[in-house]
Amino acid sequence: MWRVFELGTFIVSIVGFLIVFWIIFHYGYKPFANILEKRRQYVESQISDAEARKQQADNVLAENQKLLEDARKQSREILDGARLRADEHMRSVIEAAEKESRRLLEEAREQIERERKETLETVLQTASALTVQVAEKLLMNHVSAAVHEELEKEAEERLGELVW
Amino acid sequence: MPAFPYLFAGTIFKTNLITLAMIILSGLVVLIVLRIAMRKMSVNHPTGMQNFVEWLIDFTTTLARDTTPDNATVRFVLPFAFVMIFFLFVANWLGLIMTIAIHINQPVAAWGISANDLLQAHGEVMVFDSPTANMSMTLGLAVMVWLISHGRGLRHPVQYLKHYGANPMGIIEEITNPLTHGMRLYGNIFAGEALIGVILSMPMLFGFVPTGIVFLIVWLLYSAFVSTIQAYVFTILMSLYIGQKSYGSHGHH
Repeated sequence: MWRVFELGTFIVSIVGFLIVFWIIFHYGYKPFANILEKRRQYVESQISDAEARKQQADNVLAENQKLLEDARKQSREILDGARLRADEHMRSVIEAAEKESRRLLEEAREQIERERKETLETVLQTASALTVQVAEKLLMNHVSAAVHEELEKEAEERLGELVW
Repeated sequence: MPAFPYLFAGTIFKTNLITLAMIILSGLVVLIVLRIAMRKMSVNHPTGMQNFVEWLIDFTTTLARDTTPDNATVRFVLPFAFVMIFFLFVANWLGLIMTIAIHINQPVAAWGISANDLLQAHGEVMVFDSPTANMSMTLGLAVMVWLISHGRGLRHPVQYLKHYGANPMGIIEEITNPLTHGMRLYGNIFAGEALIGVILSMPMLFGFVPTGIVFLIVWLLYSAFVSTIQAYVFTILMSLYIGQKSYGSHGHH
């Protein structure tokens, strides 16, 4: 075996391989290692990017929900306010209408009263005039039972017409 | 066994020229494949060969993770493991694809080929061969791994020595580990090539029926499998030996 073993080959192999290794390492391996490293970094950056975007999306979503909630609350408030105001308005309108109707009723009643009084006055005047006429007729014509009766009937009729 | 051309023949630093050339050739093949794979390199849309190389890096990363204690060691071992597995795969397969031997009659003193060598090799001189079919070369790689692992271990001398204090038999391991580490690779690849040579030199039946072809196909398939597996085994053991000597951070992945 020691005859087969060649010290020169042994040393040259080590040195030769190390040189070959160094050259391959620099010109053959390193570019690939760099590419792999770049890819690793790329993937990592993509992942962190995606995470950041997801965080952003979550934030936006939360914000949107908050805005929506606010808007809902606001609309409810506006609606409630409007309803309240409408109620109030309605009540005031009703009140005004009631007052108006009461006023109108009062007026109408007053007018009726006034007209009744006027009518009554007119009736009384007419009645007194009639009475005067009747008396005149009575006194001018000879009053008989038949005439009297006729007169009475006439007076009744006239009176009835007047009253009604 | 064919003869080899040598540098510094006759001195203690006898160097196998073919092994050296094949180391450089294997490295060149690996480098060219990687450079071709790199041509349309893209971060987001890897295609074709880039996918293959990335798969191999991924594969060696998993291998390193499984055999080393922490991420710092994985980062340290990964380039070694990646280059080693690719380099050994190419180196092991080169000898399977072809071995070339030329026939010369005259001894060449400048290449260290003596008349005696030629006589033993029947005049055959190998010029194209797996570098890993040379024992000195695989032992060189194994000792290199051994040196790296101990160099890394000595960065934490207390833990390094404590390991031997707790287990003195571990010193024996420090001899057997690199020895088996290198010899295993050499043995497998050399046996594969040697048997291919033997099968190829089988005489034909009746002078024209190539009976050896069946054996050759079977043995080539088996050798292809062994070559691939040995590249993997050498690399995983390298990762393991360096991982064993990596102390320091306790954070496990």
